[in-house]
Amino acid sequence: MTGHLAPRPGFVLDVDRNSPPIVFHHGEGFRLEKLPPGRSRVIYPAEPLEGLPDPDSAIREALLNPIGESDPLPALLRPGMKLTIAFDDISLPLPPMRRPDIRQRVIEAVLDLAAEAGVDDVHLIAALAIHRRMTEDELRHAVGDRVYDAFAPDGRLYNHDAEDPDGMVVLGETPHGEDVQFSRRAAESDLVVYVNINLVAMDGGHKSTATGLSGYTGLRHHHNVHTMRNSRSFMDQENSALHASNWRMGKIIRDAGVKIFQIETTVNNDTFGREGPLALLQKREWEWSARDRMQFLGMKAGLDVMPTKVKRKVFSSWQAPYALTSVQAGEVEAVHEVTTENVYRQHLVPVEGQTDILTMGMPYICPYNVNSIMNPILVMCLGLGYFFNLYRGRPLVREGGVLIMSHPTPWEFNPVHHPSYIDFFEQVLADTTDPVEIEKKYEKQFAEDEWYIHLYRNSYAYHGVHPFYMWYWGSHALQHLGRVIIVGGDPAAVRRMGFQVASTLQDALEMASDVVGPQPTITHMKNPPILMADVT
Amino acid sequence: MPAGIEPASPRHPLGADYDTSWARRYPARVARAAILESVMRPTMAVIASPARRGLDRLDDVDGPVVFVANHHSHADTPLLLTSIPEPWRHRIVVGAAADYFFSNRVAGAVSALAIGAVPIERTKVGRKSADMARDLIDDGWSMLLYPEGGRSPDGWGQEFRGGAAYLAIRCNVPVVPIHLQGTGRILRKGRTLPRPSRTTVTFGDPLTAGHDENARSFAARLQAAVAALGDEATSDWYQARLRAHAGTSPGLTGPDVGAWRRAWALGDRDRRSRRRRRRWPAL
Amino acid sequence: MKALQFRRNLPRYAAARMAGSLTPGRGAAAGPLKLVDLDGPQAPGPDWVQVRPRLSGICGSDLATVDGRSARYFEPLVSFPFIPGHEVVGDLADGTRVVLEPVLGCVSRNLDPTCRPCSNGHLGNCEHTSFGDLEPGIQTGSCHDTGGGWSTAFSAHPSQLHPIPDVLDDEAAVMIEPTACGVHAALAAEVPDGGVVAVLGAGTLGLVTMAALRAYTDSGTVVATARYPEQRRQAATLGADQVVAPDEIRRAVRRITGSRAIGAPGLDETPTEGIVDRLTGGADVVVDCVGSSTSLTDALAIVRPRGRIVLVGMPAEVSLELTPLWHREIALVGAYTYGIETLPDGTERRTFDLASELVTEAGLGSLVTATYPLARYRDALEHAASAGRRGATKIAFDMRDEKERLL
Repeated sequence: MTGHLAPRPGFVLDVDRNSPPIVFHHGEGFRLEKLPPGRSRVIYPAEPLEGLPDPDSAIREALLNPIGESDPLPALLRPGMKLTIAFDDISLPLPPMRRPDIRQRVIEAVLDLAAEAGVDDVHLIAALAIHRRMTEDELRHAVGDRVYDAFAPDGRLYNHDAEDPDGMVVLGETPHGEDVQFSRRAAESDLVVYVNINLVAMDGGHKSTATGLSGYTGLRHHHNVHTMRNSRSFMDQENSALHASNWRMGKIIRDAGVKIFQIETTVNNDTFGREGPLALLQKREWEWSARDRMQFLGMKAGLDVMPTKVKRKVFSSWQAPYALTSVQAGEVEAVHEVTTENVYRQHLVPVEGQTDILTMGMPYICPYNVNSIMNPILVMCLGLGYFFNLYRGRPLVREGGVLIMSHPTPWEFNPVHHPSYIDFFEQVLADTTDPVEIEKKYEKQFAEDEWYIHLYRNSYAYHGVHPFYMWYWGSHALQHLGRVIIVGGDPAAVRRMGFQVASTLQDALEMASDVVGPQPTITHMKNPPILMADVT
Repeated sequence: MPAGIEPASPRHPLGADYDTSWARRYPARVARAAILESVMRPTMAVIASPARRGLDRLDDVDGPVVFVANHHSHADTPLLLTSIPEPWRHRIVVGAAADYFFSNRVAGAVSALAIGAVPIERTKVGRKSADMARDLIDDGWSMLLYPEGGRSPDGWGQEFRGGAAYLAIRCNVPVVPIHLQGTGRILRKGRTLPRPSRTTVTFGDPLTAGHDENARSFAARLQAAVAALGDEATSDWYQARLRAHAGTSPGLTGPDVGAWRRAWALGDRDRRSRRRRRRWPAL
Repeated sequence: MKALQFRRNLPRYAAARMAGSLTPGRGAAAGPLKLVDLDGPQAPGPDWVQVRPRLSGICGSDLATVDGRSARYFEPLVSFPFIPGHEVVGDLADGTRVVLEPVLGCVSRNLDPTCRPCSNGHLGNCEHTSFGDLEPGIQTGSCHDTGGGWSTAFSAHPSQLHPIPDVLDDEAAVMIEPTACGVHAALAAEVPDGGVVAVLGAGTLGLVTMAALRAYTDSGTVVATARYPEQRRQAATLGADQVVAPDEIRRAVRRITGSRAIGAPGLDETPTEGIVDRLTGGADVVVDCVGSSTSLTDALAIVRPRGRIVLVGMPAEVSLELTPLWHREIALVGAYTYGIETLPDGTERRTFDLASELVTEAGLGSLVTATYPLARYRDALEHAASAGRRGATKIAFDMRDEKERLL
């Protein structure tokens, strides 16, 4: 850390004849692609900001000096109270971070204050809404062994169960008629402390509790095609119907008497480390040394011959050396304002104008395949959902333009984690890829299927309705784009989703010309590490 | 000098005056590291099956520290030396009782070489020892000390004396409390043959002396910290925190009752040593 | 007359088997099937008549014979040399167009009294098969004495012939016999009201069965497996509510019935919840129109406890784990051929009559994709064997232009 120059902000590089080829993520591997000079640009993320020098002190400070209308945490704790600590699940951060996880630090600090106040009735809930349950190892990684061993054996640390008929309540309805469904334990607690990791601007605020501790009855009001199409983008709170709905629900939660002490944290985007085998993925290509080049080629050669199972194991064992860049606690909305500023501080890159084509290399990981397989639906969600929406202002690609993604997109599913995805892919997408049709014809049946509910509650499966949400996440992009092309993808899988497949980037660009005309302009979004484009 | 008494040879001082600086030179350090890794570690693995907890509490600590631990058996030092992580592992000296470990030249040499021992008075730390300690710390060496002054006679701890606290204050370094659980079963005071048993080594958050704090009150804090770690090791972390804040942590020194009842209560403490881990599917 | 004759010739039979195992249908070239010139057919009895085929279909059982894959079970039930071909529409001497019901029962064999099934019209269950005045042969097309459809003339007993109206063209008529198999299978299934039916296989047999299920039973949802795009299209047209690839059938039936599923445990400890190896509930009826180990295993995995599996596709020797059959009290019934059917409302009709009606109603004549002259029998049999892959369904021999016919 010492000896480094100040981190440089993200910026846009105009590709010319001398620009070296760019590294594209390609699932568990990489491709080197040359973009046509003179009409291409590459958006580079900012270098990682310096982390706070003493995270534990910073956390303690935040708990004692809250933001917004809120008492310091010790004042909110008293003996005999019911305390619930809810925390973000396995989908954050990405990739998983090295120990100690931020949640461990925050939760231990909170529990230390709770112990000081003599609080006995404490429950810790992984606020996963309808994601899959976390395994013991994953929970230990998130909260640490001390907290796990103190609370899990007697059932006071557990996964949220949105389908438990006795565990969920409806607190009311927003003025728009949206049911606010909530965890009963949290609703009946004297204080709910939420421990958040705000990896991207979509996270946090009222969404932490209104979504994280909710279930299908509540979620369907904002996890739907209409809401997602009116979220432009869902990373931009000011212009997001998703957030508006969650904020409405947050008010109902507050009015119902649920007291929430929100603790939000941001991390820098040191995804691959500044030293180590993957560090060159965070370095700008023209700044690679000869050694970096050789190392990259060696790594790529090794990966190209490795069997897929081994590659997956190697990549999924990577833990990011994320550092804490900010921590704030107190009243939800006030806290979230500060958090959002900090997220933007790391992620925002100013970009002028749109282009005809947007290219992106898809990494091996997304929020829904940690320790799992990235199936084609998740590729679509990561590309047309998350990455496409990492903008403020306007999308990076013009309306009717083309999105080119790079990912092997195997027709492969993890049957334990994603059983309903298999059925969605085999049955629903074989019929139609139109999200509106899909929502109307199939969503209810999948949401209410007993077997999926059984697997969600007892196994490690995403809820039956989850693949639908994945598809809806891309509905704004599906409406906006003229075509989607996947480079290097499995043809059958790509076509099933209604996209086109190309074996090289050059082919893809040619195919794109059919839609956007000859000599199209191209933007490549070099992400991860995460960046968010501020498009004017 | 009375007749018939040989004066101690001034060239080979013993006890607290034994010079151990040779043992911190490169060749000796290499030898000690070798003994640690190839003899002590496997031996400890077999005899003590140690579980090491709380190492993450040392993540943000830099520079030399003073480690303090409760003391039950001769197995304590090798167990601690193989548990303390880098960067302190190979740059540490152990404060050993001057009158026991340095009573003759051979014992002194073995102690200095094998465990990096330096002589410290049991009861009150003398001026010479204090200066030596400060010099060592300034040179970047960490110290491992047993504030009880010696091994416990009956399995319960003894009151912490002020020596370690005093040194830490004087040299302005943090103190890392460590609790050892189960070593008394391996090699109690009075036994010579070790009996294999499970142990737990629990590291605590580093403590720094307050602005005007004196050695006695700091020593009391250290003792409470080690007691709380002991509570954590035998029950769970949260229960330990609750009791620590309420001031009801089970003390190191045990109940104030007769010997057999103390022995009886000692057995009660270790209820958690065999923990049942439910096997969840590894995904 | 010209005919494709199947002689008893062991070396050639073995050659056919080898060739057929490499490329289905290739047994025709290597095997004991030969195009020969023969003197006209000899009437096996006084009332027998001569039929001159117009179209003769190629059936899956014919292909098995040609490729040497027929079960040894049939050896006592055929007489060499014989002329294959049992799906026939032909002309009588007086020009009447007739369709053949090929089964040879007691009456054809001049046995008196007839056995009980024959008396009740279930000729396929004749208990005197291979006895009587005729050489062994369960049907025209495997009997030396009668000849068979793959020729320009053969002999038929009047009880085997059904005159057909002019409005029914030849392609539709040649489909009546296979459709009758499908009708028989659909009714043998005893589908409960609104029951879920899975049909495995979308070749000719699967398709006609689907049509029959829709027409003559009270099926609810019908889900079919089809390997090829043209088959999928036809299955959907003929009455399947959902058509899926064969390896997707287990999940499809699970979705339709809302059943739970069990994953198959492997050797290691990897979790299996979420894998659909077999269902705990399942379809009411599964009609297996394929008849392989795989299809029967699938059927056992997707049928509900006390459900019914109808085996229509002729199996050979299959290897099967029967524990599910026992444990879930499943009925596995064979459906061979037609006779008299009892419809769900209780009325009794001849299968062939029901088949005629269905062929017209569902336009099943369009399933005849291609026809060949006898001389191109090798091409015809290869085409028939790879029909699905090549987008075809029923292949038939066309004798209408054979000059031998007019003799």
